[in-house]
Amino acid sequence: MNEQQIAYRIKQCLNRGLELDAGKLVRLKAAREQALARQRVESRIPVLAWAGNIIGKSGGPSALVPRVLLPMAVLILGLIAINHWRDSQLAAEIEEIDAAVLTGDLPLDAYLDKGFDAWLKHSSY
Amino acid sequence: MAKALFVLTLWLCTSLSTLAATPPKKPPTWGELASEQQRILAPLSDDWDNFEPQRKRNWIGIAKRYPNMKPDEQARVQRRMQAWAKLTPKERDAARARYKKMEKLPQQRKEGLKGQWEEYNRLPEQERRKLGSTPRKPSAAAPKVKPPATASPEQTAPPEVAPAPGPDR
Repeated sequence: MNEQQIAYRIKQCLNRGLELDAGKLVRLKAAREQALARQRVESRIPVLAWAGNIIGKSGGPSALVPRVLLPMAVLILGLIAINHWRDSQLAAEIEEIDAAVLTGDLPLDAYLDKGFDAWLKHSSY
Repeated sequence: MAKALFVLTLWLCTSLSTLAATPPKKPPTWGELASEQQRILAPLSDDWDNFEPQRKRNWIGIAKRYPNMKPDEQARVQRRMQAWAKLTPKERDAARARYKKMEKLPQQRKEGLKGQWEEYNRLPEQERRKLGSTPRKPSAAAPKVKPPATASPEQTAPPEVAPAPGPDR
């Protein structure tokens, strides 16, 4: 007999009418209130379940830190690090080129002259 | 456990935000440069304080390489420094792009570039104009530079720009 069938039986008995003493009534009332209180807690769960995959079903809000904030912080740190690295790479490349242009055999004008560029291309650049 | 993680995350977040918010260390003004750096970068002394931070860092990096350069390279840097600094950012970018392009040439062609530049400069002015040549900045050809003491022997080096006499120079 499953839960639903028990509930159906109880309902039928109750419909027929019960004569209960005061002690049983008090215990029943207490049990009902307990059940209602539990239901209130459970009713909140679907709301949490919406974000259940992110926050975690068992951990509740305390799981927010390891499952959301920490990875997010690591991700941001990673992005900032990549950005710094890219900037420094670019700066290093510019410094390298500038040093080569300033020390090289060719004068600055050779790099500035569009005509020379075109002429080199023309003569099988 | 959760508390420790929370503290760790909080610490990460605060350090991240300070890292992102604080600008990188301010580069030195001319007066703050070491005397050795001032000696090497002397041609830039007048303009230094107007340079944006990244350019200052770039020049400080070049000054760091300077002692390892050959004497003739040091002399070239001294001669070209001011002209290079006076170019517009766009011109410098274009020059860097051309340098990169020339760097990709086969070694044999790269070695011949100097000769080709001289050959190009022997072309009649009109022909060079047709190819897109624009009048050159006089500062790029012969900047007036106060070279550092150690660079004095190279002062007598011939002008680096190939002769290209023309009314526009």
